[in-house]
Amino acid sequence: MSEETGKQGSGLPPGLALKDEDIYEAMKQIPGYLDITPGDFKEVYYLAYRRALERLSRSLTAGEIMTREVAYVHPDTPLAEVAAIMGRRGVSGVPVLDGDGKVVGVISEKDFLRHMGATETKNFMTLVAGCLKTKGCVALPIKKQNAAHIMVSPAVTVSPDTPVKEVAAIFTEQNINRVAVADAAGRLLGIVSRGDIVKATSGVRP
Amino acid sequence: MMGGYFRKMAGTTQSPPRVGLTEMLWSWLGSFLGVGAVAYLNYGWVESTDLVLLIGSLGASAVLIYGAIKSPLAQPRNLLGGHIISALIGVTAFKLLAPNLWLASALAVATSILVMHATKTLHPPGGATALIAILGGPKIHHLGYLYAVVPVAAGVVIMLLVALIVNNISASRRYPEFWF
Repeated sequence: MSEETGKQGSGLPPGLALKDEDIYEAMKQIPGYLDITPGDFKEVYYLAYRRALERLSRSLTAGEIMTREVAYVHPDTPLAEVAAIMGRRGVSGVPVLDGDGKVVGVISEKDFLRHMGATETKNFMTLVAGCLKTKGCVALPIKKQNAAHIMVSPAVTVSPDTPVKEVAAIFTEQNINRVAVADAAGRLLGIVSRGDIVKATSGVRP
Repeated sequence: MMGGYFRKMAGTTQSPPRVGLTEMLWSWLGSFLGVGAVAYLNYGWVESTDLVLLIGSLGASAVLIYGAIKSPLAQPRNLLGGHIISALIGVTAFKLLAPNLWLASALAVATSILVMHATKTLHPPGGATALIAILGGPKIHHLGYLYAVVPVAAGVVIMLLVALIVNNISASRRYPEFWF
């Protein structure tokens, strides 16, 4: 029976796997003879669930799931302030906007790490190691710089009607965690992060 | 490769749960009244004429329309369509192929299933209805295509009326799920 579950459940998160007992007990709660076996029901359930999931993730767009109230900085914002904003808002990345509100770049934690000597693996622990080995502050190399120095430019942006599925593909292909959603003129409308996609497709209403 | 073929014969799942006692009793009452109505008319009245009203396949229909009332196979579209279509096919097979009765029987049932599938009226007792057109004896043979009207359509309509009345009395039962 478990072999059966594994075969039919492929492609679904393990938490969604139904046990035969679940179906059997549910069938017992419905009075009257159900002209279907638990195995048939499970197959219908898996196929229907997969279909619904596909439909939902296809129809949702970046504009529908994006975070609208986004912290942002300008190219001439000092990095000390950029870091403070990111810390205060609890985000790991911010878009960089010019005077017209157009997205000119993105800064993430990774960009800080990259310019602070953590060249090899670009993660926080590399930085900790560097910090523990030297006496000075590892942030010194970028102390006097501003956003324009370390931002990734041009930023990866999508339009509001980009399907969520496509956004997810961009995340995976480019190994990034957020994209800016911009209108046709390039002005910022919001941000879609990996978290937004998880929230939108988990079925739990925020 | 052959291993997979034989493994399929072991089955993969379990039998559905047993229904409750009230469900059993409602099924009993429905089929008693349904078959009772048709049989009463048959033996008390119709039998003395050239006609018949009670045929074996109605007993099979009773299992579905009183005992498995949620089943797609038990819905009015299937009940009426399956019986009448199969009756016409059965009579046709007999007319065309008698006295080659083995071929008439096989062709009648197989074709009935195919046409019931194609018309979304699959109703297992229809297979019996087609067969009865061939093995039902001289009285049935003499009816010709009338067989599809009396006993088949008439008997089925009476059974359907009883199903509509009895299956909707209990709060936990309803019939049909759909009409056509």
